[in-house]
Amino acid sequence: MFGYVGKIVRINLTDKSTEIIPTSKYVPEYIGGRTVCNKIFWDEVSPGTAALDPGNKIIFMTGPTTATGIPTGGRSEMTGIAANSYPEMYSWSGIGGFFGSELKYAGYDGFILEGKAAERTYIYIEDDKISFLSADPLWGSLVHASRQKLEELHGKNVKSLVIGPAGENLMRNASITTSNDNVAAKAGFGAVFGSKNLKAIVVKGSGAVRPADIEKLFELRLKMGSPYMRPSPLVREMTHGMDGNEIPVDGGWLRGQVACSHGCNQHCNRLMIDMKSAFSDERINQIEKCVGIFAYGFKEDCSWTPIQNFETEMNHFLACKMLSREMPEPDPSDPHFDELFKPVRGDLLNFWKPDFDKGSVMMDMCNEYGIDKWDVIVWFFTWLAMAKKEGLLDELDFGMDVDVENEEFVKHFLDMVTYRKGKYGPIFAEGMARAIRTLGKEKFGDTIYQGRFSQMTGERLDLPVSLETAWGHSYHWQGRGFESTINKVGWLATSLSLMLSSRDTQTNAHHHDTYQNYLEIKDDPCHSELLVDAVIMNENKADIKDAVTCCDWQSPDLFWPEMESEMFAAATGIDITEQGLNYAAERSRLLFRAILIRNHGRTRDVEVGAIFPTMQFPDPLGETVGWEDWNDLVDIYYDRRGWDRATGWPTRETYEKYGLKDVADEMERIGKLP
Amino acid sequence: MSEITGAYGRHIAQTSPEESFCAGCSTCELVCALTHDGVASPSCNRIFVEVDARMMYHTILACMHCSDHPCYNACPKKDEAMKLGDDGVAYIAEENCIGCGLCRKACAFDPPRINFVKSVDKAQRKSKKCDLCRERAEGPACVQWCPVRCLYVS
Repeated sequence: MFGYVGKIVRINLTDKSTEIIPTSKYVPEYIGGRTVCNKIFWDEVSPGTAALDPGNKIIFMTGPTTATGIPTGGRSEMTGIAANSYPEMYSWSGIGGFFGSELKYAGYDGFILEGKAAERTYIYIEDDKISFLSADPLWGSLVHASRQKLEELHGKNVKSLVIGPAGENLMRNASITTSNDNVAAKAGFGAVFGSKNLKAIVVKGSGAVRPADIEKLFELRLKMGSPYMRPSPLVREMTHGMDGNEIPVDGGWLRGQVACSHGCNQHCNRLMIDMKSAFSDERINQIEKCVGIFAYGFKEDCSWTPIQNFETEMNHFLACKMLSREMPEPDPSDPHFDELFKPVRGDLLNFWKPDFDKGSVMMDMCNEYGIDKWDVIVWFFTWLAMAKKEGLLDELDFGMDVDVENEEFVKHFLDMVTYRKGKYGPIFAEGMARAIRTLGKEKFGDTIYQGRFSQMTGERLDLPVSLETAWGHSYHWQGRGFESTINKVGWLATSLSLMLSSRDTQTNAHHHDTYQNYLEIKDDPCHSELLVDAVIMNENKADIKDAVTCCDWQSPDLFWPEMESEMFAAATGIDITEQGLNYAAERSRLLFRAILIRNHGRTRDVEVGAIFPTMQFPDPLGETVGWEDWNDLVDIYYDRRGWDRATGWPTRETYEKYGLKDVADEMERIGKLP
Repeated sequence: MSEITGAYGRHIAQTSPEESFCAGCSTCELVCALTHDGVASPSCNRIFVEVDARMMYHTILACMHCSDHPCYNACPKKDEAMKLGDDGVAYIAEENCIGCGLCRKACAFDPPRINFVKSVDKAQRKSKKCDLCRERAEGPACVQWCPVRCLYVS
C-alpha cells in the first residue's frame, strides 16, 4: 500500500490486550483520519455511553499523507464522546506535531483505545511491541516534565501524547499535548485519558511510509509552500498585541518560527522566546498561536477584514499566511480591493489591560496543566471579568479577591480549577457550561454585561456575561463574543455550521466563499442557496482535510479545489477527483449525522433550539436574525443535504445514495428514519 | 566510537538563529530519505534533527565528513560498500553494503551520524550515510528544500 502502512491496532486498557485490524477494512473507501473514525464509532459505540465511561473509545487515525512529506499532512484526528461538549456527545479533536508520523513509522495507521486500566498506566509502542507500563512515576507531573521523563526512559527520539494534572483530575477542558505544544483540546479528551487511568501514549518507530508519487510530492511542496523557502531569522519585536491591545515591551521580545506538524513547509511565526514561567524563575519558550494573543491583553476584540472570508481570484490568501504575514502582496488592481481590505474594528470590551508577563503566565499554566487555552482565555476569564463588573461575584468565595488583572489571581484560579480545590474548584472543573448551570444560569450566565461598545456605531451592545454558544462551546467568529467582528453573512454561515456540529467548527472549517458569491448573498442571506452551498462546501472540505489529512490553514483553496485530491493521489497512487473526495465527505458527514441522531437524539428542534438564542444578541452593527428567517435558512440546508425538514434526519434515499443502506436500515429499526 | 579529530570536509551546517531559525519541521530528514530511498523513514535519513520540544531550539546533526573518515576505515568491504570519492567524501554503495553496522559504530559522534535500517532479514540491513547528494545536480536535497533556509554546505 502506498500512503497507508496497513494496520490499525485496538488497545484494550482493561485486559491489556491488543488486536490488529487491517486498515484495508476501511480504506480507501473511507479515505483516512476522521472519516475512518466515524465509521468505527458508528460500528462500535452504542447509545448511552458517557464520556468518562470505560465504554467510551478514543479512535485515533492518521491520514494517507501523514509521514509522507506532503505539506500539512502531519496532522491526525481523534474522536469519541467528548467530555467538554454540553450535553456530552460524539465529537472530534485534531492534533499536529510528530506523534502521528511516528505511529506510522511504528507500523500503525491508527488505534482504537478502549476500556479502563486498573492502575495508572502509560502505553509504550515500539514497532510491533506494545507495553502497558506503570504511570506512577509520571502521575501528578506537569506536561513538559512528563514528556521529559518519558524521553529519559525511552530515548530522546520518542514521540508522545500526554495529559497534565487537568486530565488526571478529569477537568472537562483538559487537553492532550504532543511536541511543540500542539494540543488536542476542543473535545476535552484529556479528561477521557484521565478517566481511563491513562497518562500517556509513547511511540517509537523504525519503519517506512512509501508515498506513491515522489515527483508530485515535491511539486506540491513547492506550490503549497509558496512564498516560503527563504531565511527566517529570529526577530526582536518592541511591541506586542494588535489593535487596541498593543503595548510596548520593555527590551522587546524575540519571535521565531515553529513547525506545527511533521514535514510541513509552512510554519507559525508565533514562537515566543524567553518568556515568564508560572512555575519557576527559569525563562521559557512558548507558542502563542491565534487565541493566545488575547491572554496578554483583551481590551478590544479582533478587527476583521472581508478578505479573511470572502475572496477573489486576484486576492485570496491562506489564513495561516495572513496571520504570519507571509502572504503575497495584495493586488490593488482588483476592482473589489477597497471592500476586501477595509478593516472593521472590533468591539470595545475592556476585559483586561495588556500585561505581557501575566499573559505569559496564563499561557504557561494552560500548557503545563494541559487545559484548553481557548476556554481559559475566551470563557473562564472573560466571565470572571464581566461577572465581577456586574457585581455577580460578591457572594462567591474563591479564596482570593477576583481580579483578572492580577497574575496571582490567574494562578490561584487555574490551580483551584485544575486540582478541584475548595467549593468552586470542582464546579468549574466541569467546564463553564456546566458550572454556570450549577451556579444558576439566569443570573450567572444570562446577565447582560454593560461594558460592550461597538466601534462601528459607538453604541453600547448587549452581551451575556457567559460567552456561551451551542454545545457547551464559546462564541467563535459568530458576530458576538470573541472574534465577533464578522458581518452577518459570515456569522449566519458559521452559526449554521456550528448548529449542525457538536463543537466549535471554526478551527477546522473556517468559513470561505468567493466575494462574487457574497455580493449575491448579502441582500437576503437567509434565503440564499449560495450561502448554504458555501456552508456545505466548507463542511465537506473540513471532512476531507481531516481525512486526507491536511490543515485548515491550507485548505480550502477556492481557486485550487483539486488540491486535496492531488495530495491524496500523490500519497496513495489512487486517482480520485475532487468530486470523488466530496462523495466520501458526504458519506462521512452522514455517518456523523447518524451518530448524533442515534446516540444523542439530535433533531431539528434540538439543534435550532441550541443555536437560535445565541444569535439574539446584536452583532457589532446591531444585527440579529429572526426566527422565521433562520428557519428558512435551515430548510434550505436540509433540502440541499437531502434531509427531512421536520426532523432534520437524512432520508433513506440520501443514505443509500452514499452507500449507507445498512445505516438507513438501522435508523429505520430504531425509528429515526423520516 | 573513534576520536573526534576536528578535521572535517565539506558538510551540511546550520545557520545561526540570527540568520535563520530552524523551525524543527523535519523537512531535511524527510527529503533526505525520499530522495535517496523513495520512502519517509527515521531509519533512512542521513541528516538528523535533534528536537527540543520544550524550548523549541532544534539542532541539526549531520555527517561532518571527517578527514580521517573512521567509518570508511572500519568497513570490511572498503572500496566496495564504503567508498571514497575524489572529493574525499566517504559514501556507501548500498548494493554492496552487508549491513554489519561497523561504520556506524566507528562514527566519532554521539549520536552517530550514520543511520541504519534494522531488519530480521539480514539482506535488508543497510547503513545510510550522507554523501552530500553526490549524484544530484542541484546539490544536497536538504539544503534545497529547507523551508527556512537554515542549512548550507560549509
